Amino acid sequence: MQILANGFVQGLVIALLAIGFNTVFLPTKVFFVAQAGLYALSPFLALQLLRWDVPWWLAFTLPVVISAGLAGLMETLNHRPLQRREASTGVHLIASLGLYIAIVQIVAMIWGNETQVLRRGIDQVFRPGDIILTRSQVIAAAVSAILMIAYIFWLRRTNLGLQFRALADNPIQLALFGYNTDRLRMCAFMVAGGITACASLVTAYDIGFDPHGGLHAVLLAIVAVIIGGRGTFVAPMLGGILLGLLRAQVVWHWSARWQEAATFALLAFFLLFRPHGILGRKMRLEAE
Amino acid sequence: MNYILHLLVYFNIYVIVAMSLNLVVGYCGLLTLAHAGFYAIGGYTYAILAINFGWEFIPAALAGAAVAAMLSLFVSVSAWRLKGDYFVMVTLAAQALIFSLLYNWTSPGEPLGSLKNLTNGPFGITGIPRPVLFGWRVATPAAFAIFSTVIAAACLFVLWRLKTSPWARLLLSMREDELAARGLGKNTRLAKVQAFAIASGLAAIAGALYAAHVRYLDPSSASLDESILMLSMVLVGGLGNFRGPALGAAILILLPEVLRFLHLPDAQAANLRLLIYGLLLVVMVHVRPQGLAGEYRIQ
Repeated sequence: MQILANGFVQGLVIALLAIGFNTVFLPTKVFFVAQAGLYALSPFLALQLLRWDVPWWLAFTLPVVISAGLAGLMETLNHRPLQRREASTGVHLIASLGLYIAIVQIVAMIWGNETQVLRRGIDQVFRPGDIILTRSQVIAAAVSAILMIAYIFWLRRTNLGLQFRALADNPIQLALFGYNTDRLRMCAFMVAGGITACASLVTAYDIGFDPHGGLHAVLLAIVAVIIGGRGTFVAPMLGGILLGLLRAQVVWHWSARWQEAATFALLAFFLLFRPHGILGRKMRLEAE
Repeated sequence: MNYILHLLVYFNIYVIVAMSLNLVVGYCGLLTLAHAGFYAIGGYTYAILAINFGWEFIPAALAGAAVAAMLSLFVSVSAWRLKGDYFVMVTLAAQALIFSLLYNWTSPGEPLGSLKNLTNGPFGITGIPRPVLFGWRVATPAAFAIFSTVIAAACLFVLWRLKTSPWARLLLSMREDELAARGLGKNTRLAKVQAFAIASGLAAIAGALYAAHVRYLDPSSASLDESILMLSMVLVGGLGNFRGPALGAAILILLPEVLRFLHLPDAQAANLRLLIYGLLLVVMVHVRPQGLAGEYRIQ
């Protein structure tokens, strides 16, 4: 049970990050690798704010706002000009990768390469039933779950969410109906930036952080998106939770050092034999 | 003087890597992040064969090339069905799996190169012998520089012959329109397998050269950063011809050496170098998507 609980908490955070990734990927078809840069940056911003004796609630919300703003900036300065020139997805990927490298190196140059922590001392422990959860795990699970529920609600119930799903379905048609797709794209990037910062902060609060962990976290999120199914906004949550559970099982049955191998073997398996994911509709990738 | 010879050896190693990567990225139009994995496999094969069995350089490097070519099947067979971002993800998975194998195939106390401790894990392999060529040991830096130049020239000769062959035209037609190439009765699947096997084999030879030069090897030579560096070389230099990758390799090797003269602290210099690589990638796709001397824009 303990392993399942740990895996579930980890899975919820992966799922949150996966939603952030898919928010950009579905409507814009941009492989937003620079998200990993935002993931690396936001806990350092929080750390710096805490050092300046900013109240803690501000120190944890301001990085989210900054991250969303930076994501918007990337769309304005990088992806929108490329999109105007009808650049292919590979070009977007390379540009985004370049941005990721640049952000991580700037972070490392300012704050150093060492691993940092956001909290001190021993964490408080809860014992619901026969499992043990630390307070930071509970916070991570709660924040992820609340954000995901809010996200689904926003997508299903509000007008903006409806426009969003339409953008993912057929951007040209939506533009012909008179909606401002540029503004919606911008919105997608900013939402993704904010979600990324939230996922990053709760993870950093739980296990600490360093400048180079971002790409790994985002890769896990991408794996979650692919095994969950890319066609919908909701499937990545399932993928993320499954991935978290699987990774916890690997640690228990073999060893932590085979976690990565198991994750990427799963990714390869899905890409080769079930590329549409668990929940996705069956279609050929060649058609895209 | 030794410093210049060292740079020359590095340039030779990376010119092989960049040219072989160009075969896949520039001629087939398939973006791959797995190249550093095959490069490291070549290095590891050479190191283990040379230390444990005393093999000479050429048979050991060829064995590494054969292993890398075999393993490249995983990537090239995926390229039969997958395109674009999904293919990049498969190559990323291949890179992560190779890195994970090199990093984890170890158990303390067992001799190096045995089935239980093939790679010595994160500690890496030390004391790799200098290359032996027909009984002659390449020991001095000058001799090694000449030796690496000869190997690089041989690899480039192979690539140049390939480039001027009908097979290269098949790759180009496949890159431009795969359906049309198939419609003309060409076997594009076989062509992809061949291109990946050749490119990976050449990268493995470069890896063996690196292992013999530095005489130490750890799994970081299979890391994603290394793959990104290789990809930057071809993207900055240019895709789809012979000048481009050579130019890219020269620029990305000389750039950190220029930074060396700025007298930055070591930790900062490494970060600054990578920062420049990252910004170069962004600027290149905006300003000159075909690279400095390239002919082809990545799709």
